[in-house]
Amino acid sequence: MHTVWKGAISFGLVHVPVKMFSATEDKDISMKLIHRVCGSNVSYIRKCPTCEVEVEWDDIVKGYEYEKGRYVLFEKDELEQLSGEATKTINILDFVALEEIDPIYFQKTYYLSPDQAGGNAYNLLLEAMRQSGRIGIAKVSIRSKSSLAAIRIIDDCLAMETIFYPDEIRSVSQVPGLPDSVNVNEKELMMARMLIEQLSTPFEPAKYKDDYRDRLMDLIQHKIAGEDVSVAPEAQKTNVLDLMAALQASLEAVKLPPNAPGGLDTNAAGGAAPGDAAQPAADAAGGSEVVAKVKTSRPRKSKKEDTVS
Amino acid sequence: MSRAVKGTILVAGQELTISNPDKLLWPEMGITKAVFLQRLAGLAPWLLKHCQDRLLTTIRFPDGVNGKSFYQKNCPTPAPDFVETEPQGGIDYVKLTSLPVLLWLGNLACLEYHASFDRVSDPAHPTEWVLDLDPSLEEEPRIMEAALLAGDLLRSLGIASTAKTSGATGVQIIVPVIRDLTFDELRRIGEFVGTYLSDKHPKLFTVERLKKHRGDLIYVDYLQHYQGKTIIAPYSPRARAAASVSTPLHWDEVRRDAAIADYHLLNIEKRLQREGDLLDRIPAQSLRPILSFIGKR
Repeated sequence: MHTVWKGAISFGLVHVPVKMFSATEDKDISMKLIHRVCGSNVSYIRKCPTCEVEVEWDDIVKGYEYEKGRYVLFEKDELEQLSGEATKTINILDFVALEEIDPIYFQKTYYLSPDQAGGNAYNLLLEAMRQSGRIGIAKVSIRSKSSLAAIRIIDDCLAMETIFYPDEIRSVSQVPGLPDSVNVNEKELMMARMLIEQLSTPFEPAKYKDDYRDRLMDLIQHKIAGEDVSVAPEAQKTNVLDLMAALQASLEAVKLPPNAPGGLDTNAAGGAAPGDAAQPAADAAGGSEVVAKVKTSRPRKSKKEDTVS
Repeated sequence: MSRAVKGTILVAGQELTISNPDKLLWPEMGITKAVFLQRLAGLAPWLLKHCQDRLLTTIRFPDGVNGKSFYQKNCPTPAPDFVETEPQGGIDYVKLTSLPVLLWLGNLACLEYHASFDRVSDPAHPTEWVLDLDPSLEEEPRIMEAALLAGDLLRSLGIASTAKTSGATGVQIIVPVIRDLTFDELRRIGEFVGTYLSDKHPKLFTVERLKKHRGDLIYVDYLQHYQGKTIIAPYSPRARAAASVSTPLHWDEVRRDAAIADYHLLNIEKRLQREGDLLDRIPAQSLRPILSFIGKR
């Protein structure tokens, strides 16, 4: 587990240095986005539509669009200061009973461990909360965002759940199509309640599995085994080879009738004026031959003496 | 200390002092300075032609090819009256415009003649496009095979080219071009062709810039092609044991796996008189269509 945040729990005069770790992890099998045509992983580019350039992170600031196309800008430290993140504290405001918080409030859970020499204070807080059976409601800022949080105990560990602010939770009254009055058939109600009774069991989280993930992983293994895989081309390579082929093909299309083989020396002989270069060049292309390493073949011309002294 | 031998010759109406004519410059080939100057005079029409309108860098080997050497860009002093210079960026380049100038440089043991890619009169617009095939091995048996692959590839793109030995270990593919593209644009074609060659023949070519990562592969050096950079001039001698000369080849010779060392100071003149300058046989071409095609992608 790696530390996602470092700071301190503070309540009253007590100050408990802690490190924070994510308590949950997303096990979704992640898929990359692949260009169907060539099989490359597509890349995301932060692009400025005005300057038509790719924008470096250094050149990016946050801006609030207060009316269409008009922004007020904020630097990172400006926002940090505002959120109180600079103080790096989990500020416990109240202690409440866990049952008082509806699960709808819970966002994400973090584990807290004692940092530096904070072991004693950590244990003190842990034990006091265990005995009182209460959980702390705190304010905390992580990544420039201020959150409400519940501090509670899981086994021998302090944990923090970030929770929504009340105004972030939508009212049930906004859900369309809810029945106005409860009007159900007694017999049907009995049946439904019996069914619930039958399915009732203690909560054993271990028995629930992500079937979709298992099936997907299975399919992945099958595809790999069956070589039914799409391999991204080594970008540059295919690029240049394909490009050359395309270029040769396009030149082939306008090629003049092939000359007698013999190479450039004879084909392009004569000092044509620089202006009409295109024609002789195309001539030379006509004599294209398959390349083979010819080491000892007999010279075509019997001018042998030119290579010896 | 042996007594220095000096003599004066009259070249094209100019008096030139020759020192140590018996000094062996290429001992393995038995080429003394006197022989060198004679051969240089024979090469002069072609060498001068290819150094014309370009900035000249020479490499001097005062004690022959096995001795110390140094690059010379600045015109040495004192220079005879007939030597003209081209001042550029704080350097006084020798204008290699006549036989006396060439022999004067030769007498100073300037063995290698490197010419700038750019023209003095029009530096932004190169008149040829060059792919330098630079082997990592001192002896690369596949160099002609590599040159042929490159040449055939260009031919498949409708580009006529000439292979020219560097005279050392490599081969350069020369494409005369009309002045419609810049160095930057031509280098883009070079990058495309170089990358293609190294992808298509990964056991033969590389475009890896760091020498230590090239292994035994032949480096397709398209990056050399810049204004201000130089390349060994066609028909320049090289300070190699074989006294090899940077020589344009027939593609047939490339196919026959010609050896770079076979074209040297002692036989080059005969070849030139018989064949003429092979670089003249190919017209200047426009690579703009190729560039536009690459650019579209």
